[in-house]
Amino acid sequence: MKFDNESMREVFGKTLVELGEKHDALIVMDADLNTSTRTVLFKKRFPDRFVQCGIAEGNMFGVAGGLSYAGFVPFPVTFAAFASRKALDVIFMNICCPKLNVKIPGCYAGVTAGEGGPSHNSAEDIAIMRSLPHMRVIDPGDNNELRSAMNEMMAYDGPVYFRVPKVIPPLLMEEMQAFRWAKGIVIREGTDVSLIGTGIMTSICVKAAEFLEAEGIHAEVIHMPSIKPIDEDLIVKTAKKTGRIVTVENGSVYGGFGSAVAEVLVEKYPVKLDAVGIKDSTFGSAPIRDLLIHHKLTPKDVAERAKNILHAKNVQ
Amino acid sequence: MTRVDTAKTIKERAACLDKIAREVRERIINMIYRAGSGHPGGALSAADIATALYFDILNIDPKNPRWPDRDRFILSKGHACPVLYACLAMRGYFASKHLDTLRKFESILQGHPIHKTPGVDMTTGSLGHGLSIGLGMALDGRLRKKDYYVYVLLGDGEINEGLVWEAAMACSKFHLDTLIAIIDKNRLQMDGACEDVMPTGDIASKFRAFGWEAFNMDGHNMEDILLTVEKAYKVKGRPVAIVADTVKGRGVSYMENRFEWHGKCPDRDQYKCALKEIREAEQ
Repeated sequence: MKFDNESMREVFGKTLVELGEKHDALIVMDADLNTSTRTVLFKKRFPDRFVQCGIAEGNMFGVAGGLSYAGFVPFPVTFAAFASRKALDVIFMNICCPKLNVKIPGCYAGVTAGEGGPSHNSAEDIAIMRSLPHMRVIDPGDNNELRSAMNEMMAYDGPVYFRVPKVIPPLLMEEMQAFRWAKGIVIREGTDVSLIGTGIMTSICVKAAEFLEAEGIHAEVIHMPSIKPIDEDLIVKTAKKTGRIVTVENGSVYGGFGSAVAEVLVEKYPVKLDAVGIKDSTFGSAPIRDLLIHHKLTPKDVAERAKNILHAKNVQ
Repeated sequence: MTRVDTAKTIKERAACLDKIAREVRERIINMIYRAGSGHPGGALSAADIATALYFDILNIDPKNPRWPDRDRFILSKGHACPVLYACLAMRGYFASKHLDTLRKFESILQGHPIHKTPGVDMTTGSLGHGLSIGLGMALDGRLRKKDYYVYVLLGDGEINEGLVWEAAMACSKFHLDTLIAIIDKNRLQMDGACEDVMPTGDIASKFRAFGWEAFNMDGHNMEDILLTVEKAYKVKGRPVAIVADTVKGRGVSYMENRFEWHGKCPDRDQYKCALKEIREAEQ
């Protein structure tokens, strides 16, 4: 698998500048993390459209709501952990309820704050953000997709939460595919089991599928960057084809991506599903690689879970 | 290492503490260098305050970390935890070998403090929470008629957080004179000067306006630290805020007053230079 030569946070920072050139109404807000989140690039290019709010996330999201009323498109930027856990009620009350046009990046999302430990990693953000009214949720799989998603979200008049992991991601797709709301992408066709990944975990699914292929198991790999709204048709289609689903996320499966896929299947086409992620746990301090190993989120682990579900009995 | 003999004069105690603080600083640098990441700036600015607390002021028992009558200490600016871990190891809460495991997988020393670490009273790292926790602990002490003190160490950048001021209002309401908040005023936060990121103004006056007694002190002068805390004990009926003037990165010349060293690990040459400077420091 090829890797990109830039980290996702760098691409995030550069894309903000590109969007800033096109959209006069775009405003970037910071809670004293601009060197980490790379909004420092926007700050340098557009100092007049950069609002430093200090280490006060609750206030920052409230101000974002106020700014968007005036027609601005604010990007209040902080770590995923603080956006989802610390500022939640302000985001609910003053951004989501009135359906305001605020774009919320979740920087260092999932395991990718690594050594920062439980306070800075975020396993809960997908579950939390997905539950909010009008909020759309994206977990992009690579740099191209992050850039494309950021462009696409400018056309949606409402709140968006999107993950920006702190990694140099693999190039998920050889050919650039534009991000589209509620559209998943079939990365690899298969007939025995479906591996559905979101964000940087789809690349784990791709490798898992290679392991499975070596054992004669044909896994279908689907990438699902748009978690809300989700591609219901594709989920049902692959379920009909393979009858076995494994979802993979770097976050809590309680209410997270696995739950989102399960909700579709239970309603429309019940098949066996196994959600790979974490349960009742936190991402402690360690390099990302060690965290993936410990929480059994590696390609081998995913392949193992796929084999287990293949041998499980049918639902009915 | 044990607590400094409190029967000694202030001058003698301060001299002992200065020596210990140099070792604390050395350990901070060692720890962060071996971890490959971490926050040296704010750990070094708080090194003298933490040393004075752990080796003189706090009434604690390292052999019995959860002793119910102990003084409590909350490192609300959790990212500065290498200073806390150095003090805890030197007081004997855990073996010093653990310091080499900072930020590594399954270490008892996480990138930000967790309550499972021996001697750590509360998980911190998301800023602005410590004063509320301290308020709860001080209320607990009053309700159970204990006479322990609760010390909360905050950063001056950290007091941007609104929750700090919610707690400040409440501490005053409950007349909690067993609560002492120390603000490590190193004047810098992650992305620049506090004055630019979010001006905090006269911090002591702000706390006074919330009903607190407030003192200023030199956060690198052991005598001043000890005397100011003594002064705080004499205040009755309201909480005390101590605003400590400090230097971010104190003790390592190239880190001093540089916000870039908020969360950066020194390279090999910088590491050697830092150790040399700390060892050779004349007080």
